[in-house]
Amino acid sequence: MRRRPGIGGLQNAAAARDQFRALGDNVAKLRTDLMKEQLSTFRSQLEDFARKHKNDIRKNPAFRSQFHEMCAKVGVDPLASNKGFWAELLGIGDFYYELGVQIVDICLATRPLNGGLINLEELCKLLRQRRKTAREAVSEDDCLRAISKLKVLGSGFEVISVGKRKLVRSVPTELNKDHNEILELAQVQGFVTVEEVERRLTWSPGRAIDALDSLLDEGLAMIDDGHQDSKRRYWFPCVSSISSYVGTDTL
Amino acid sequence: MQKLGDFKLPQFFNYPPYFTLQPVRETRDKQVQLWKEMILDYCRTQKIYVIGLEEDFPLFTNHVIERSLSHEARQAFLSALVSDGRAEWMDKSHRKCLILWHRVQDWADLILHFVKENGLEDSVMTVEEIRSGTESRGTELHGMDRTVLMRALKLLEHKGKLVIFKGTSADDEGVKFSV
Repeated sequence: MRRRPGIGGLQNAAAARDQFRALGDNVAKLRTDLMKEQLSTFRSQLEDFARKHKNDIRKNPAFRSQFHEMCAKVGVDPLASNKGFWAELLGIGDFYYELGVQIVDICLATRPLNGGLINLEELCKLLRQRRKTAREAVSEDDCLRAISKLKVLGSGFEVISVGKRKLVRSVPTELNKDHNEILELAQVQGFVTVEEVERRLTWSPGRAIDALDSLLDEGLAMIDDGHQDSKRRYWFPCVSSISSYVGTDTL
Repeated sequence: MQKLGDFKLPQFFNYPPYFTLQPVRETRDKQVQLWKEMILDYCRTQKIYVIGLEEDFPLFTNHVIERSLSHEARQAFLSALVSDGRAEWMDKSHRKCLILWHRVQDWADLILHFVKENGLEDSVMTVEEIRSGTESRGTELHGMDRTVLMRALKLLEHKGKLVIFKGTSADDEGVKFSV
């Protein structure tokens, strides 16, 4: 196109720009349409799969976990809403919602005993005890998913790793690195002494006592002065099964 | 689950720190609550009415984990029961504690029930007969602690349900019911 000066030239340039723009929009639209189609294919295949294996998803925790992974890869979240296809087909939304409520209950009930920090393993055990009559088995993976949903609600629930274990935190207490190391050390016998903490972690006496006392204040530790050797022991209910020692009948 | 006789011990009994008075308020409150419940349950099932703080009350020591409650801890838990109206100190130095696993009012109600069940509304009985006579056999009144029984009877006397009087023998008292 020959550039022409003057009003005519300007009009042509505008027309050309419009044409390019329209072309660009078309390309974008094509791409989007294609993607939508692909996604829709994925979704319907996933839906077919879910329909076919509904029982397995409900009854088998391992299978359920893999199903979730598959959904995640496709960007589908069966738990996103309590209504709609997924909730209706699988009743899965209800399942995790129910689990979430039960988990919150258990954490609240055991909080006076463990300071708001509970072993994931123990939480699951208490959950299973509570759900004895329910049809569906519950795995640790299910617990973790239910808890991650709770997080979204901003309820202050979080899963933290201490050594080999996972602990579920239901209070806003922040655990710093020193606290973490003590908890890890405590996993061996369920308790630590000041001397042990100093020796194994090579800390100064002040540092050990400070950390232990703050854990005590948070309700995460309990003191024990009754041993024959008169050394004070700091016990940590969250790394042992004490939470299930007490009040399980009320759970 | 560990047992003491036929009493099922709650699991916290096996966790050493529970035998040390906890310094942190919330933890201590929970600890006291657990001990109070266990002491009351144990006394109720074993029909124990009096606990002597310096004696070998079975719950004060757990030989398996080698822990024992300090005197201070024993005081703390029993005082909590006293505050709840479920126990009373029998002496100023707090060495003996009367355990009211039934409150005095509850015992009074049991006595009234016993009276009605046996048609004793206008009769006379000795205090001793109430707790060891044939009629009381099979009821909770049988073998009742005398101190507690007297307390319940005094409560009922105050309400005009009976009159306590001294009997012919020096050591027994009698009761005239007017239920």
